[in-house]
Amino acid sequence: MRRIFRIISLIFLQLITVVYLCFAEADDTFIRSETLKLADEDASTRRAAIMTLAQSGDLRAEALLESYRLGELYLWNGQVVRCTDMVEDEDFNEFYILSDLLTDELILGAAGNRAGVPLEELEELSPSRAERRTAHSAKFLVRLSSPDPEVRISGVKKCGDPPGIIEAVSQLEEIAQNDPVKKIRYVAQESLLLIRLSQTSREHDPQAHLEIVRELGKMKSLRGLPRLQEMFDELMVEVEALPDFEEGTDIEDLDPADVASLGIYKYGIAYKYAVNQINSYQGFVEGIGNIFRGLSLGSVLILMALGLAITFGLMGVINMAHGELMMIGAYATFEMQRLFGHTPDSPSDWYYVAALPVSFLTAALIGYVIEVLVVRHLYRRPLESLLATWGIGLILIQLVRIRYGDNIGVNAPTWARGGFEVLQDLIVPYSRCFIIFLCGLCVLLIYYLMNYTKLGLRVRATMQNRNMANSMGVNTQRVDRYTFAFGSGIAGVAGYAWTLIGGVTPDMGQTNFIIDSFLVVVTGGVGELIGVICAGLGIGVLMKMIEPLGIGSLVVGAIWAKILLLIIIVGFIQFKPAGLFAPKGRLSDV
Amino acid sequence: MFRKAAIMQTGDQSPIEANPQSIKTTQQKLWQDRRLVNGQLSIFLQRYVPWAMFFIGLIVIPLLYYIGLMSIGTVNMLGRYMAFAIVAVGLDLIWGYTGILSLCQSFFFALGGYAMGMYLAHHGGPEGIIDANNWKIPACLYVVYPYKVGEVPGDALVPWFWKPFYTLPVTVILGLLIPSIAALAIGYFGFKSRVRGVYFAILTQAITVAGWLVFCMNNMKLCGTNGLTRFDRIAGFKLTTPHVKVGLYIVTLLALVGVYALCKHVVKSRLGRILIAIRDDESTLRFSGYKPYIYKLFAFSLAGMIAGLGGMLYAPQMGIFTPTNMEAGASILVVVWVAVGGRGSLSGAILGTLAVNLLYNFFTSEKNLLLFTWRAEYWQFILGGLFIGVVLLFPGGLVDLWHRLVGKTR
Repeated sequence: MRRIFRIISLIFLQLITVVYLCFAEADDTFIRSETLKLADEDASTRRAAIMTLAQSGDLRAEALLESYRLGELYLWNGQVVRCTDMVEDEDFNEFYILSDLLTDELILGAAGNRAGVPLEELEELSPSRAERRTAHSAKFLVRLSSPDPEVRISGVKKCGDPPGIIEAVSQLEEIAQNDPVKKIRYVAQESLLLIRLSQTSREHDPQAHLEIVRELGKMKSLRGLPRLQEMFDELMVEVEALPDFEEGTDIEDLDPADVASLGIYKYGIAYKYAVNQINSYQGFVEGIGNIFRGLSLGSVLILMALGLAITFGLMGVINMAHGELMMIGAYATFEMQRLFGHTPDSPSDWYYVAALPVSFLTAALIGYVIEVLVVRHLYRRPLESLLATWGIGLILIQLVRIRYGDNIGVNAPTWARGGFEVLQDLIVPYSRCFIIFLCGLCVLLIYYLMNYTKLGLRVRATMQNRNMANSMGVNTQRVDRYTFAFGSGIAGVAGYAWTLIGGVTPDMGQTNFIIDSFLVVVTGGVGELIGVICAGLGIGVLMKMIEPLGIGSLVVGAIWAKILLLIIIVGFIQFKPAGLFAPKGRLSDV
Repeated sequence: MFRKAAIMQTGDQSPIEANPQSIKTTQQKLWQDRRLVNGQLSIFLQRYVPWAMFFIGLIVIPLLYYIGLMSIGTVNMLGRYMAFAIVAVGLDLIWGYTGILSLCQSFFFALGGYAMGMYLAHHGGPEGIIDANNWKIPACLYVVYPYKVGEVPGDALVPWFWKPFYTLPVTVILGLLIPSIAALAIGYFGFKSRVRGVYFAILTQAITVAGWLVFCMNNMKLCGTNGLTRFDRIAGFKLTTPHVKVGLYIVTLLALVGVYALCKHVVKSRLGRILIAIRDDESTLRFSGYKPYIYKLFAFSLAGMIAGLGGMLYAPQMGIFTPTNMEAGASILVVVWVAVGGRGSLSGAILGTLAVNLLYNFFTSEKNLLLFTWRAEYWQFILGGLFIGVVLLFPGGLVDLWHRLVGKTR
């Protein structure tokens, strides 16, 4: 199956390449002929060629114009070549190394065995000062007409960045009106305003200036913020220099020039208003982003804690190797990546799909073995099981460390890179969405398993009263075994999800997760799915909400957020010692 | 229920540490037993082995060094392990007798260690500068001083919390007080709300990790992950000289014996009975009118103080004190020392600590065996195996093994 898939994808790839090459070939001759015009005697032809290149939308034209500006282009044998380096032979004769304009391949001298050609054979394309300037701004225009929206948006951004490319204005206006992509229209508008802002000043054209400032504020332009802030700061310096007025003086008694100078307050208010508008919007976006980051952290915590809550609730066993099972899941993902040969350059995204069952099964299998060998003997002895499973964790860590070394990288599949822009400037990464989705899926799966299947019925029966369940014909030993394996498998899935957002090391479970996930279980209450979900989301969101808080330059930061959270949890336990959703009745004394 | 309460109130029987009465009955049984000789041996050994060990530790080992049979490194190493043993005895008091599994003993250990380390750093290496208030900035702090933006090396100041640790007596007092106060605080919030068993273990583990994170931060001005280094003198004596090392070893040994005697006294007293009752059935104790959390608080803060003492003795012998001493793994390691020795037996805690650490010392060197090379990193397997084995195979630990060997029954 995989083979067929591979063959199909290979054929498809080749087709694309062939098509692409055809187009590229046609483009090449066009660019080459235009470049040849740069060597023309007539200044207007040269100028026209520059502009044509600028309109071509081909990224290579960008580099070409830059080379032209720097005087790296030469005419040789009737073709334009690039020359950036030279060598000397023993007699100190200089040879110039030529490379192709577009492909950057080396062109050897006419005799074939020379490293370069002597200067006599070359004719330099020396642009005039005005042409240099034109080429410089034309360089930015190239991207504006690219068919690729990614390239276009980068070009649009660059045109607006200070000092701003005035030549681009007409094209930007066109893009701002007619571009099919909304985001590009927005950025083009922003760039236009920024260029205009740098062109107008409040002395010369106060009305237009204020209008632009207001417009930027209304657009909540993050890129306009530094310039606006700077203008405001400059204005404040001027305001400081203004003469002080005594309170209660009549306006008639004042120097009219002083009164007139008060007019700049108007600008101050406009600047500050725009800055505040942008800042408050950014704060809002930041807040939502933090909640989202908290949700995804919470999802990982839930995935981790789900398994723990089940095993702890069911068997009264503390599994300190749970973090290591997560690590196993992450390494299983890594192993699948290797098997599929996935690298950032040659992606093969199916590895990530295949890694989901593999990481679940690997961790579940190891969990099963742990249960059979060790945990089976430790029912209802949580303290002892804590020690023994910690030992298992140490062994697993060391095994993995010997096999894989200390640090490996799992490259996210291509579809998990990037994100979509929900609101302006609020980008939600696909990877985090996927994690939240995966977590929801697992929760639903467990809910279904526990409440609507026979296995779930047996598990709940064993949880509530082991002896009774046993005497009613439930094979509690088998139930334990499968439940433990299932919990471990969920941990493996958590590790699988983690590879999207974090690093993978052998001791990742011990250093990062085990404490956090136990805190989730303790806060949520043992054996209750809903408790784990509430506590996991609560802790995750709270953590990310606390992190960016701060007074002045002192920011709480990740470490203090963790400690504050711990204090909050300890305080919480004072009021609800058995967690959010405490088991009731005789179970409560476990 | 009633029987349990009655037993508890008369303090007649405890499963692990036998009281004099039960020893007597055991002896009587043993006299009638066929293992007569074994019984005699047991009594003999029980009475004299600790004294013999003490004698060996105090006289024989320094003697061995002075006649040249033992290197100063080994003496120093034993001294360090004894500092660990002090911590283990403290943990045994709360885990073995009171039934509270605390995973923050290494945190208290590090608090004591940092106190002593700060004293040693004050009198440490010659690097560093004199700050604006005429305090010499300790060499290790000077290297990693967290300057704010715009500050130059001349602006560095000795932080206020370094200043009390300039003199030895104050350092010793603070090194004992700080861990016990920290333990009191942790214990108050933990025990008051009846956090028990594993929950308390997880809570203390989390506190250890939090403490570790804080001590690793550079701008806490505690030298960050580098730790306290460049120790030079203690009370005017140079730390590198062998005589000072032997002296420190003997001080540690005496401290260990003192701590052992103190804990023995505590567990033999009426207070000790209550602690054991807490371990065995806390609810019943509470129903009989006691307030268990006060006793737990006492035991916990005493153990914290003992751990701090261990840290204070460890720092000068190790010559460096870093946050690794309070990692999550380090705190569980203390538990395994006690478990290997035998939970609920103070001498077992000491024995276990020495045994595990000597094993560690032996197995963390590369060895060429016949078929493969033993590498230092394989120690983790042995350690993991110890964790599992001590729980599954010999829950009584070394002491239990010893008792079986010499025929003492419980």
